[in-house]
Amino acid sequence: MNIVYLTLGLIAIYLYVSFASLLWEGIDRKLVARMQRRIGPPILQPFYDFLKLVSKESIIPRDANRLFEIAPILALASSIALLAYTPLGFEPLLATKGDVIVFIYLLGLIAFIRVMGAVSSGSPYAQIGAQREIIMLVSREVPMMLGLFAILWRLSKLGVEKPFSLGTLYQYNIWEIGTPLTVVGIFVLLLVFLLWLASEIEVGYFNIPEAETEVAEGPMAEYSGRHLALFKLSNALKEFASASLVVAIFLPWGISGHIGLTGVAAMVLDLIFHTLKVFAVLFVSMSVFRAITGRLRITQAVGMFWSRILPMSLIGVLLLIIDVLGVIS
Amino acid sequence: MENRVEYWVKIPIGPIHPALEEPEKFIITLDGERIVNVDVKLGYNLRGVEWIGMRRNYIQILYLAERMCGICSFSHNYTYSRAVEEMAGIEVPERAEYIRVIVGELERIHSHLLNLGVVGHAIGYDTVLHLGWLARERVMDLLEAIGGNRVNYSMNTIGGVRRDIEEKHKRAILEMIKYYREKVMPKIEEIFLYDPTVEARLRDAGVIPKRIAIEYSAQGPTARGSGVEKDVRYNEQLGVYPDLGIKPVTPKEFTGVIKGDVFDRMVVRVGELWQSMELIERALDQMPEGKIKAFPKDNVTLVRLKKAEGEGVGRYEAPRGELIHYVMANPGSEIPERWKMREPTFPNLFAVARALVGEQLADVPVAIASIDPCLSCTDRVAVIDAKTGKKKVLTEKDLLKASIEKTREINPNIKAKPEPVGGSCGGVR
Repeated sequence: MNIVYLTLGLIAIYLYVSFASLLWEGIDRKLVARMQRRIGPPILQPFYDFLKLVSKESIIPRDANRLFEIAPILALASSIALLAYTPLGFEPLLATKGDVIVFIYLLGLIAFIRVMGAVSSGSPYAQIGAQREIIMLVSREVPMMLGLFAILWRLSKLGVEKPFSLGTLYQYNIWEIGTPLTVVGIFVLLLVFLLWLASEIEVGYFNIPEAETEVAEGPMAEYSGRHLALFKLSNALKEFASASLVVAIFLPWGISGHIGLTGVAAMVLDLIFHTLKVFAVLFVSMSVFRAITGRLRITQAVGMFWSRILPMSLIGVLLLIIDVLGVIS
Repeated sequence: MENRVEYWVKIPIGPIHPALEEPEKFIITLDGERIVNVDVKLGYNLRGVEWIGMRRNYIQILYLAERMCGICSFSHNYTYSRAVEEMAGIEVPERAEYIRVIVGELERIHSHLLNLGVVGHAIGYDTVLHLGWLARERVMDLLEAIGGNRVNYSMNTIGGVRRDIEEKHKRAILEMIKYYREKVMPKIEEIFLYDPTVEARLRDAGVIPKRIAIEYSAQGPTARGSGVEKDVRYNEQLGVYPDLGIKPVTPKEFTGVIKGDVFDRMVVRVGELWQSMELIERALDQMPEGKIKAFPKDNVTLVRLKKAEGEGVGRYEAPRGELIHYVMANPGSEIPERWKMREPTFPNLFAVARALVGEQLADVPVAIASIDPCLSCTDRVAVIDAKTGKKKVLTEKDLLKASIEKTREINPNIKAKPEPVGGSCGGVR
């Protein structure tokens, strides 16, 4: 019974998030177009793109091996698995001890599968793109993991039962701890997370692996038709899931409690409210960031991660530690 | 060192690639992200223009020369006219020279705005592209008002210009300059001189030192960005340019240093936008009254050119650099013996390929865009009604008809019937 409930829930979430994330892509394109004084495509354009790609022939390069065809399916499967661990306004479906690790692992796995697919395509552009993707991956995870674990550790000091679980974020609100040092520290970490989100979904400064004018879409260079459609969908789901993490940490408020709803109605309302919050976070980290910045060189991006964002994360973490240890009281 | 070779990757940038506007091929050997070697292959865009030119008379070649490139169409036209005028010893009226300066500088503004946008696109900064091209619309509209067309405005003819700049055009030009000075230029300067993203990407990318620029004979903003004070309008005292106080623009006046990188080339372009606006204002101020053509009719010109002997070289500083047209007369015929041109992109491409060695792959698109390689032309037009969304594809016949109607609208004195007379590719012979 429980397994049936979980499966149905996951399918429902998968369908909802696919719709919401593709809708967001359309809104994002429209918003960026307006920022650039263009009219932009219709809001439903990503849906049309997806349907068109699904119906088109998929061309497989002669030098490609089997993994080239398997990679899109694996990427989408990992994205759906990721959704089971994503907080969407309520506790994740498979909330257990240590699901934070699984969440980060699955995010990394999607990027890794993209790289495997790109390398097996045999295209030099994809090869360069894969190199860049790996370099970005190892740089961006460190400050984010540091910040995330520090926040969970800070919450565990308040006495939650499962400290390394994403569900913890809903039990105590990090802003409501209230000490000024924590608030400052969380603000610093919010910046770190917005930058991490931008690099996770590869926009603006961090659109380096897919750089269209340099390596012609990088890892995606050889993909077409159904395979590309699966990758596009998987990317959209990943965007939504990564933004959901930021929302769960920094904007965990729900509205169902205020209205007094319970049960399924409360979940649906919270899910919709959560979606709006995700759109707000993505607006800052994706649309605005994309409109006001260009792309960096890979060396500059790596330098930025290790020499700017990691120290920033360290400062935030230190502020949290000082607050807990009571060095300044 | 030998065993390192197997890790090198060869990447073909081109002939068709998102970073390039024109079919040209760069084979880039990479060691990780670092460029070890760059090979340039050209010749994908051979259109046999000289051969077509050998079947047309001097006046018809004007329109062919104009279609060499969609962006510097006036420059080609002007340079060819200068070559023929030098060959036949035709005196150009002073007012015509001033009008040529005005249209040439308007074209420079539109070309430089285009290139600034393209460089923004090459570093993934699409907002710069869209805003730059939006600003460019204004000057293109003005060129349409003056010449009757947004791209190939056919302003030039041998011995003068075909259309006068009237009082209403003058007012429109001054208004446009005011708009650019107040609304566009502050933004452009903010982006290309002070924006940290742009500076991070353009500084130290595609560095062409002064020595290399001279050795490879770089032209235009590419040379001036490296500190070579080379500008045909200034060095050759071209036309009425000396009266207008022309000076080569170098990045030193803006940033104080000359490094020869992409940033410096863009600074030169920003400076030239300011300079072009000043030149247009001065030209409008000093423009004398008088006739605009040496000969009233084209067949008179042709008769005169039939008797011409010898050869002529026209030089002009097109937006991309020095443009040279060479014409050799064929006495007794209205078709030239030889017509040859050299475009500034050719030496610039090799200079930039040399400069890319040792830099990163990410610098390739922006370095190539910074020399502004020329575009090819399109041959069909689709018209979409903005209100109903209906689409109609125009054929060559429709275009000819539209062009004749437009000419009549601008100059009602022409009495010919607005009916196309055969294809444009029909030979004279």
